[in-house]
Amino acid sequence: MPPAAATNLGYTPPDGGWGWAVVFGAFISIGYASAFPKSLAVYFKEIQEYFSVSYSEIAWVPSVMLACMYGGGPVSSILVNRYGSRPVVLLGGLMVGAAMVLASYGTSIIQLYVYVGLIGGFGLAFNLQPALTIIGTYFQVRRPLANGLAMTGSPVILLILAPLNQFLFDSFGWRGSFLILGSIGLNCCVAGALMRPKAEAVDTTEQSASLQTEKGKSQSRSQSCVHRFIDLSLFTHRGFLIYLIGNVVMYFGIFAPVVFLTPYAKHQGIDEYSAALLLSIYSLADIFVRPATGFIGNSKWIRPRIQYFFSFAILYSGVCHLLCPLASGYVGLVVYAVFSGLAFGMVSALLFEVLMDLVGAHRFSSAVGLVTIMECGPVLLGPPISGALVDISGEYNYMYYACGLFMLVPGIFLFIMHYYNYKKLDEEQRQSVAVEMKTSEETVKLQIGPDDKTAHEADR
Amino acid sequence: MHMFYIGDHCSTWTFKYDFTFLNEQLSDFALSVSKTLSTTLHTGESQNETIEVLNPIKLELECTWTGDQDKLPNITVYWMKDENEIENSLFHVLMCIRKCIFISQFLSLVVVSPQIGDVREKPIVSYVGDYVVMTCKMEESKPKPSSWNWYKKNGTDEEQIFPAEEPRYKIKNEDEKTKLVVHNLTEADSGLYYCGAVYAIATTKSPVKLKVITYWEPLKPFLAILAEVIVLVAIILLCEKSQSKKDGATGNQRTYRYSYQEGNSSVRQRKV
Repeated sequence: MPPAAATNLGYTPPDGGWGWAVVFGAFISIGYASAFPKSLAVYFKEIQEYFSVSYSEIAWVPSVMLACMYGGGPVSSILVNRYGSRPVVLLGGLMVGAAMVLASYGTSIIQLYVYVGLIGGFGLAFNLQPALTIIGTYFQVRRPLANGLAMTGSPVILLILAPLNQFLFDSFGWRGSFLILGSIGLNCCVAGALMRPKAEAVDTTEQSASLQTEKGKSQSRSQSCVHRFIDLSLFTHRGFLIYLIGNVVMYFGIFAPVVFLTPYAKHQGIDEYSAALLLSIYSLADIFVRPATGFIGNSKWIRPRIQYFFSFAILYSGVCHLLCPLASGYVGLVVYAVFSGLAFGMVSALLFEVLMDLVGAHRFSSAVGLVTIMECGPVLLGPPISGALVDISGEYNYMYYACGLFMLVPGIFLFIMHYYNYKKLDEEQRQSVAVEMKTSEETVKLQIGPDDKTAHEADR
Repeated sequence: MHMFYIGDHCSTWTFKYDFTFLNEQLSDFALSVSKTLSTTLHTGESQNETIEVLNPIKLELECTWTGDQDKLPNITVYWMKDENEIENSLFHVLMCIRKCIFISQFLSLVVVSPQIGDVREKPIVSYVGDYVVMTCKMEESKPKPSSWNWYKKNGTDEEQIFPAEEPRYKIKNEDEKTKLVVHNLTEADSGLYYCGAVYAIATTKSPVKLKVITYWEPLKPFLAILAEVIVLVAIILLCEKSQSKKDGATGNQRTYRYSYQEGNSSVRQRKV
């Protein structure tokens, strides 16, 4: 049984064909947007010395970038609603490229804030959003799998970018590296070129066409104005609100555990290389589980109740983090890295699929824009709050307990709320089916009425 | 004279390092910690110890006999420096000016000024016409040098850099770190530089490599990747155009729309 929030696309998505090329394009865009801010750390020390600034001043660069990437969500949504995904991703790719090229000629740290942070951040926002949106136009039946595959871009691209950045830095210093990163960022334009706007296949009979246009007329008048920009009526959408509340809280605890994994390992006396290996193990688990989660989410048992699967993934993450302080020695930490890598991958793979499932593909663009700007706060505040917990207590345990709670509580909340939501949706579905049957009966009666004689004649 | 080596008759050794300053003028840089390093050497073992000091030190070597107290042997201990016996060097009093290596059967001691641990192996890369900042930092736990110098390696010599003579160079010193800023770089500035942490006992030198390249170097890969992007985008868009022409030619009823596809679905059906 398909999810209650039907696509309302008006056509049958191909669920394949060129869709896989689009998934690949999304893989690149989403991957670059997620991985790029994390991979810049290797340049900080030298830039810090070059401009004679403190560490916190240089740390503002990725913070501004993240803030603009999340805050730019609504802007991205508006542009996608008006112009479709492709132009926005092309623009985003150009912005990311230009940002780094300009930054390579930068003469002050403020310029880096503007170029890398502001322009780069918005460029990434114009990549992330549209890439997620276009998947919904090409896939319906296989959408969880498509989403899972596209989200795998994030850890894969990070795995490529991190050593690449180290190599570039050693060969060219920070200026040359930024220049080359500019051209690498332009590859997002290639991803954008792949995001062919979906052709409509009009396959309706006259009868149903007229029925739908009836509905369409009334809906269009009230909604078209809003849809041109951004759909604020989402704030009255029950599913959207549940998702929003759960996610905003969850985001406080989602990134800090992996950010502090290496320092935590070193704190326990583990040497630098083994500690770095933990991150690699985490990434490998993440890469493996994302497509797998997409595949499982697609199965006929999970798909109708995919919200529970998502809630479970969040709950499981919370439990992982709560148990982390119990991990003793290197083996314990390896086990934790595997399990939390799996957890993070599961949550990430389903993150946007469940939103699409709740609001439907055509409202998804606005929905994701509104969600990302709300998540701006937790994303920026999460790691510093965790860091403060570590500094104050001198131990990492309290930070892991806190992050665990930040995920456990939303997980439980989502489970309960979605149980209630599914019940309501089933009710509404039954009601609307009853109404439709009544309407079509009446229409048939009306049509046959005047042509009664003709029909009877034809029957003979 | 028969030489007995340290350790012949002792089963444990206690080495005491006492940082006492022999020259009062140097008391400004006093390191007032007295370190006792106990180490157990068994007969036949050799060991290397490295001690970092600021100033000439007094080194005491003490041997504790842990065997049978009745059978206390008559031990003669000599210090030897570079295979020469030091006169009157029984048990104590050692003056080191720079570096002393004591080789015994069991112990080799290297006494040096505080070392800079954090050495950057790979060169710092900068560009012609730009400036570069090279830093050296002495660890927090180690004593701070009295001053810092910078040297450039010229052939086999190390020439000290004097900012007063060459305004291109600027040296900014803080207690525990130093920065050398070189403006208006040229390719000739590439090479090996040394920062020197000056201590009374010696100057610790640490290498910093500099590589100066032109903007053309990173521009090559940049242009290559740019070309790749343009070619790929062109191929993808051209393929799409030719495919849509084919579809139009075969009378396919599909219509391609490039505006708010993913937006107003409710309006979509009207635009047949």
